[in-house]
Amino acid sequence: MPTKRFDQARPFLTLGLVVAVWLLLPVVLKTFARASFFELTAPVTIAASRIRDLQEFWSLRLHSKSELIEAGRDLARLNSSYEMAVQQNAELRTEIARLENVLRLPSFQEYRYEHARVARRDFSGWWQRIVIRKGRNFGIPVGAPVVFTGGVVGRVSEVHLTTSVVDLISNPGVRLAGVIEGDPLGRPISFQGGVNPTFAPPTGIVEFVPLDIIATPQSPKRLVTSGLGGVFPPGLSLGTITKAELGSDGLFKSGEIKLDERLGSVSEVTVLVPLTPGTD
Amino acid sequence: MATTDINLADRSGSLVESHKGYDPRIIFFYFIIAALLLTLAGGLAYQQLSKTGEHADAERQQNQRRILVPGPRGNIYDRNQKLLVGNRPRFSVRLLLDVLRPEIRREQIRIRKNYRAMDDQNVPSPWQLEQIARVSVVQRYLDEVNRVIGREERVDARELQRHFSRELLLPFTLIDDLEPKEYARLLEKLPVNSPANVYSFSTRYYPYGSAASHTLGYVGSTDDLEVEDLPGDDLRTFKMKGTMGRDGIEKRFDSLLQGEAGGSIFRVDPAGNRINPAIQVVLPKQGRDLTLSLDIDLQLAAEKTLGETEMAGTAIAMDVNTGEVLVLASKPDYDLSQFSPRISTATWADANARGALFKRAIQGTYPPGSSFKILMTIAGLRSGVITPEGTAFCPGFFRLGREFDCHDRHAHGELAIEEAIERSCNVFFYEHGYKMGPDVIAAEARRFHLDQPTGIELTDETRRMIIPNPEWKRKTLKQAWVGGDTVLMSIGQGYVSVSPLSMACFMASVARDEVWTQPTLLHQPNRPRQKTESIGLTPAQRAALVNGMERVTTGASGTARILQNGRGGLPPLTGLRIAAKTGTAQAHTVKGTINFAWLIAFAPVENPQIAIAIAIEGDTPGEETGGGRYASPVAHAILRTWLDKKNQPAGPPVKFKTE
Repeated sequence: MPTKRFDQARPFLTLGLVVAVWLLLPVVLKTFARASFFELTAPVTIAASRIRDLQEFWSLRLHSKSELIEAGRDLARLNSSYEMAVQQNAELRTEIARLENVLRLPSFQEYRYEHARVARRDFSGWWQRIVIRKGRNFGIPVGAPVVFTGGVVGRVSEVHLTTSVVDLISNPGVRLAGVIEGDPLGRPISFQGGVNPTFAPPTGIVEFVPLDIIATPQSPKRLVTSGLGGVFPPGLSLGTITKAELGSDGLFKSGEIKLDERLGSVSEVTVLVPLTPGTD
Repeated sequence: MATTDINLADRSGSLVESHKGYDPRIIFFYFIIAALLLTLAGGLAYQQLSKTGEHADAERQQNQRRILVPGPRGNIYDRNQKLLVGNRPRFSVRLLLDVLRPEIRREQIRIRKNYRAMDDQNVPSPWQLEQIARVSVVQRYLDEVNRVIGREERVDARELQRHFSRELLLPFTLIDDLEPKEYARLLEKLPVNSPANVYSFSTRYYPYGSAASHTLGYVGSTDDLEVEDLPGDDLRTFKMKGTMGRDGIEKRFDSLLQGEAGGSIFRVDPAGNRINPAIQVVLPKQGRDLTLSLDIDLQLAAEKTLGETEMAGTAIAMDVNTGEVLVLASKPDYDLSQFSPRISTATWADANARGALFKRAIQGTYPPGSSFKILMTIAGLRSGVITPEGTAFCPGFFRLGREFDCHDRHAHGELAIEEAIERSCNVFFYEHGYKMGPDVIAAEARRFHLDQPTGIELTDETRRMIIPNPEWKRKTLKQAWVGGDTVLMSIGQGYVSVSPLSMACFMASVARDEVWTQPTLLHQPNRPRQKTESIGLTPAQRAALVNGMERVTTGASGTARILQNGRGGLPPLTGLRIAAKTGTAQAHTVKGTINFAWLIAFAPVENPQIAIAIAIEGDTPGEETGGGRYASPVAHAILRTWLDKKNQPAGPPVKFKTE
């Protein structure tokens, strides 16, 4: 009879064994599983992104020829203005190089620009981030600044083989040192992403705002990167401070900053890859 | 086959047993399950209905944190609304220690393992291991900060231990003097949820460094913060350190300058990170501002020239009519910036060793030397012993049992009172002082309150002034008064000891022809002129006194003629009539006889507005530290600055705060 009872306990024994094996799995295996998760899911993410691109392509194919002709004309106009901007840019670069040469200043080329397409957006109340379609294969490092036409997008937080995760500046976990545009003293202000509901316009919070800075919705103050933090170059737009009130310490103001609404729909970004990695 | 049969039989038995129908024994388990379910339901009801409040409180205590911050202190201004003491933000990196417990425990285990791996027999005790682990973990975070900002700071193990035992709930300060660039780098480089983070706090700001340091005083830190309007006493509360006046005006007017603490209640996420915005905020309020009577321009001029003597000393200037103190300088002093936000042991030891903590203006007592002859003159004129026309002969000494010398036994010859003051003839005052007697002199000195603290708004004014008389000597020294005591007292020597501030008040009183001037450090626009008892001199007597004092600055033998004639790069103070008296007192110390240089003065003679007292301590035994040589340049600097400001075209009216 004891033999029969053992037979009946076999399922429990099996379950116990499975649990024990799981608990005793080597840490390396678990770490590997965690690390490889992104690599395993990356093809799916990229494939989905490409399918979306294809959908967009076919939806564009459905437009009438006259619409396409109109869009082509708009594009031609835009291209011509960009062409002009490129020429002006080239002239300015030459002038800057000449002045740097005259003043014997070091050349300001600290970054390489890596353009990347957004593969996935991951927004929640706790984090706001995007996945871009470039990773270690393009030499993107963790911590690299990411920008777009509206200013700062965020900072690379994870890098995988073919993808990278970028924490948006609307993410509460992102903090930067900014300065008020035009502040002659260049006093650093703390910027941090706010707690943003998924579909709400992105906002952030600012702290350590000097008491003489007055910002209201009617006369907002633009906040740009300070360049002091060693991560972002100076002068990139972070957003506009629309409210600044006396903080709880009585020494500074704290307030809200309105971020670029296009952050939620950004599809192309540029990663600033430092040319001298490891120098803070 | 037999084997097969047996197996079948066994299995058949098993099958019959497993397919058995309804087993009444299971009812027993129904009851158990029902009982368990009821217990669960009862527990649920109990927890949800009876203990709702407790759970709500527990949830609130778990999800909310209270932060109390001190209110900024009020500013201190000089009489022209120039900022003397303000507030400025100071950035620091602080580490939340309570969240490091698991990390410290792991570090402790790792250290123990290392000891065992090395087969070291001297494994530290658990208590020592914990201390080592704490320092190790905190240093790790500090190293991260060092890496970001390029410093090489080390953890102070003793301070860390003290913090763990007393202030665990408060963040531990890793570095508290971040430059804006360092603070900006840390903002970007430190993870938002790191236990190490950037904070700001208010610290005192001294635009003039060491100027008026003894008067302004300094502040120390305190944890005594309370906010009346902020609920949540049961919440986990973080208190930022506040400040409390420890010395000088900061201490005396602490209740006025002290701001009202504020605070906020925040929600936190499961990791303890703050979720903005705050649920409730009570804003701190800045303390009230204070306008002092000091004139920082005069103060700086006095301190500069005092410093150039490279000797300890003090200079006081006051408004003759209101008693408002314009200058209260004392050297050596200390740089207030080094006393904020806290005083390091080295700074304190250095200040102590230099004697910089001693406030000579209000704590020092010195024999007044020849400057006391002004009081002697008043006493003599009032008692009739001295008359404006009367003379005395100075043979260079005064004999009373033994010979008391005039200046190096220099014979001044026949002198009237004005010339006696100008030439500071000792014999003239020996003779008349001896005639007056000690009680008359002491009574006159007490009439001018030279034996009492002045009552200025500083907490540690000395009470060690001595205006001796026979009764004082009998009570204090158990000795009889002798004639020599009177003779020495007549020239401000012997047992006479006064504070520089009381001499400044004396000078202001003489300038107004009254007996008492109450000094004050608070400025009040349109403060009324002080009015006390008249000295009681006739116009002729007063003229003799004032003329004698003016001759000190104008006469060929005047000991302070530098003020009117200029010398050594000092220009004459043209257009300002000054009445003054210098003095050089001696004190016997273990090192030898030390001289003290004195100068008391008021100006302008025709309409007195400013009174001055200067005392400088000689530092070399035997060296002649004369009042004319050492104290006159200080008075010159004060009066010149005062005159320059007076002659400046009037600016726009100063708007005073009405608080």
